[in-house]
Amino acid sequence: MVKKYYLLGAVSGILSAVASLIYQYVYKESLGADFSGIIGIPAVVGSCLTGGLIAATGYWLLEKFIKKHSEIVFNLLFTILSFASIVGAFAMKLPLTVEMPELFPGLVVPMHFLPALAWMTLKPMFVGSKS
Amino acid sequence: MGYLILYPTPSYGVGYLLTYNKNHMKKALLLAAFACAQLSAWAAPTWQIGPKYNITFSGGEVGGIFKTLKGTIAFDEADLNTSSFMVSVAVASINTGNALMNKHAKSADWFDAAKYPEIKFTTNKIVKSGTGYQATGTLELHGIKQEVSIPFTFKAAGKTAMFNGTFEISRTTFQIGKPSGEVSDKIKLVIAVPVTKN
Repeated sequence: MVKKYYLLGAVSGILSAVASLIYQYVYKESLGADFSGIIGIPAVVGSCLTGGLIAATGYWLLEKFIKKHSEIVFNLLFTILSFASIVGAFAMKLPLTVEMPELFPGLVVPMHFLPALAWMTLKPMFVGSKS
Repeated sequence: MGYLILYPTPSYGVGYLLTYNKNHMKKALLLAAFACAQLSAWAAPTWQIGPKYNITFSGGEVGGIFKTLKGTIAFDEADLNTSSFMVSVAVASINTGNALMNKHAKSADWFDAAKYPEIKFTTNKIVKSGTGYQATGTLELHGIKQEVSIPFTFKAAGKTAMFNGTFEISRTTFQIGKPSGEVSDKIKLVIAVPVTKN
């Protein structure tokens, strides 16, 4: 079962990375704000994959210790942590060569929710739903 | 009928001439034209500010740049008496690298960019100082005028040149922000301005 969790974490990480990169491309083309020098492809893929694998570890631990309501607790935690993580996007100090730092949160804040979205979308295919 | 003509004198004061007829008028105009020609011959060459200038500030945990600089620079190493700077920086062009900090810096708590949109510096005199120069003039910041001295260097290479200067100002003198906090009172400014001779 643990393998399935990690597979789900990895696949949702990759899926959210692909979605993030597509969003980044659309953002750049529509607003002319290019932040690829700050968050390039390796950074996007790496952080999405890390997010997915951390989620898998968290889910496995919750399954182990809170058997009955683990899914509800996990989903709540994942959403709250994703939401809390946007503070980092607003607090981040960009290089002074970046022309429009005002547009940076608009790019990365949606990306912070994509791993959770991908996990919740794909989970029934890998683990199945308890409800 | 008389004509009152004001014309600049070679000593950079303003003289006046009162004429009463046409001949006198012609002479006066010629004299004025001559005086203007002399004045322009003696004035320091003007320099155009290049696009790759850099105005960096730092104090405590905060630092950033101002992105917009404009003004008039007249400078001649051999004739500092006719040299002068009259430059202004757009407060709204501040960039700390963080959107929230930029907004805060422009607010009434700090620079109050809406009320005081420009930082102005106009020299009163420029003198030689060691290996470089020192520009003394009026710095107008946050609506407060204060005399400051800015040490700088000037390196010319043909028609282009570079001004470099580093100095400190006290933000409490200009009533910018609250006296304490994460931003130190002394703000260090580093200025590098490439110029091209007009």
